[in-house]
Amino acid sequence: MRETSAAALTGFFTCLLLVPAGADAARPLVNDKKAPEGRADLDVIQKHLTDSLPATRKATVCIDLGEGSGSGVVVSPEGLILTAAHVTGGVGKEFTVIFEDGKKVKAESLGLVASSDCAMAKITEEGTWPHIEVDRGDTSKLGDWVYSLGHSGGFDKERGVVVRLGRLVQVKDDTVQSDCSLIGGDSGGPLFDLTGKLIGIHSRVGMRTQENMHVPVREFVKNWKGMLKSEFIGEGPFAKKPEKGKGFLGIGTALRAEGGLKIDKVGRESPAEKAGLKEGDVILKLDGVELTTKEQFQDLLKEKAPEDRVALELLRDGKPETLTLRLGER
Amino acid sequence: MNAKPLFSAALLLASNGLLPGAQTLESAYRTNGPAVQASFESVRDLLQSSSAVIQRGRKEIAYGTVISADGFILTKASELGDINGLTVTVGEKIYTALAKLAEDPAWDVALLKIPAEGLVPVSLAVDSPDPARGTWVVANGATSRTRRRPQVGIISATAREIEPAGGAVLGVTLEEKSKKLRVTEIHEKSGAKTAGMKTGDIIVAAAGKKVADREALGKVVAKLRVGDDLDLTVQRDGKKIEMKVRLAGRADLFGEEKTRNDSMSGDFSERRSGFPRVIQHDVIANAAGMGGPLLDLDGRCLGMNIARANRCETFAIPAGDLKSLADRLISKGAGK
Repeated sequence: MRETSAAALTGFFTCLLLVPAGADAARPLVNDKKAPEGRADLDVIQKHLTDSLPATRKATVCIDLGEGSGSGVVVSPEGLILTAAHVTGGVGKEFTVIFEDGKKVKAESLGLVASSDCAMAKITEEGTWPHIEVDRGDTSKLGDWVYSLGHSGGFDKERGVVVRLGRLVQVKDDTVQSDCSLIGGDSGGPLFDLTGKLIGIHSRVGMRTQENMHVPVREFVKNWKGMLKSEFIGEGPFAKKPEKGKGFLGIGTALRAEGGLKIDKVGRESPAEKAGLKEGDVILKLDGVELTTKEQFQDLLKEKAPEDRVALELLRDGKPETLTLRLGER
Repeated sequence: MNAKPLFSAALLLASNGLLPGAQTLESAYRTNGPAVQASFESVRDLLQSSSAVIQRGRKEIAYGTVISADGFILTKASELGDINGLTVTVGEKIYTALAKLAEDPAWDVALLKIPAEGLVPVSLAVDSPDPARGTWVVANGATSRTRRRPQVGIISATAREIEPAGGAVLGVTLEEKSKKLRVTEIHEKSGAKTAGMKTGDIIVAAAGKKVADREALGKVVAKLRVGDDLDLTVQRDGKKIEMKVRLAGRADLFGEEKTRNDSMSGDFSERRSGFPRVIQHDVIANAAGMGGPLLDLDGRCLGMNIARANRCETFAIPAGDLKSLADRLISKGAGK
């Protein structure tokens, strides 16, 4: 009994000792002044900013969607990226990610939170990627000096990543507002505290330059596991959930006497054509389910939404093949 | 397939700016609130002595950068318009007798002269490398008759050239007919007009190469920049005529297409592209706020503000380039 309480007490003290000590070391004192008191304080802000910038710039990426772009930030050596839901627009989307030095790599979106504009993505190429630390302890406060990074208006190698300084001017559970002004292309980019820890992701702006809204990292931390598992979380303005029954493959089939469905037509520009399906191929199984009638095949497809992946087992020229493809939208 | 990302190029525009029930920082303590600006007071003193306010009547149209004790001032040329009726305020003194001595179209800079003595010119940081990202900068903010106010920010990006929006153009409309390239319209302000081109002229060669269609001509023009001269051969009434056409910026002649980013950018500069080299910072100014000095915390002049590019990007001519430009304009204006 006594031992137990001693252990608890030790634990209690450890907490008391460690947390503030850690916070003191990390948190620049200038944040706790209502305003900088002169040159020395301004120098402190500038020093923190310029010291942390090399690492934060390296981890900030342009998300090139082909018909537009946003920004994002790498948060693990394996290439996990945090960005905004309205940038990825869905789960399992493929795009190109560009680092400040111009290096381009392939990436794919994981899960998102449609109600608060959080999204996760992952670099799909092998490598160890420059990344930054997430302020999981949620230590930022109203009035803190912060800075935004982003590939404003798209990637520009000559210009590089753009940085803007500001303070946290409004704090709410699912949104923080800063006076670091943002513009198109910054969406999904990182908001850092002066030590270079990630505290938010750029989401939206008001017409006034002081109205720049970011998703706080606590919203990401809260939904981390679900996003890692590629879940589409919540409903809301920032991403539209693909509707069941609207998944589109783009083939015509006929039942084959020996079993399976024989493809007698492949739609031009259809997901089927893009995935390499050909007339004459025989589909034996869809997601492991043996196909017995056309109606059954259609019923199975009705359960799918656009962007869903389906696995097909085929016979091509008598040889078995497997193929995975992503459905389009009907 | 309509599941494409629709608004990825832009940032979402929030429907409501204010969040009810949130903790809010008083405006005095925001980045450009008076309490924060107070710590830049020593730099503000320099804005008071070394920046000029250029007005038409009561309306501010631009700022200026004082570069000599006897009244040479640099400013943004395209904002000036007719020089008559302008006043220049330095410190608390208002000057009505001003002259425009010279202008540089590539940099969009004009050299003004006021009859003054004992002014405090800016101290140009000519020997330093480009200021690094994150460096504090101070520029002219709103102003009163007697007092210059500061607006603060940081260096945002790498110094670079800003290419003219839309690229270089001859400034003509062409018609392609039976393998001939005929001029149907000529812009009044174009180099083609100045060079004496006429509608009906057939362009047969550019830079010594035969051209018979838009594509061929386009290939030649694409290699050139605004301000370059292009040798053209045109056919008129059966005669071949050689001419040199100075290329203009597409946006300068035909205006610019407004993007979604522009629609959220307020009052940006009309001339905001086509600069040989700029440094970029995040001081929020309006179009009439250009032409003044960009100062660091030591009061050194890092450059002169030349364009509010959009909501959060302002361009300044770097100090070194500004120095050589000033020298050039002063010797050019010496004869006047």
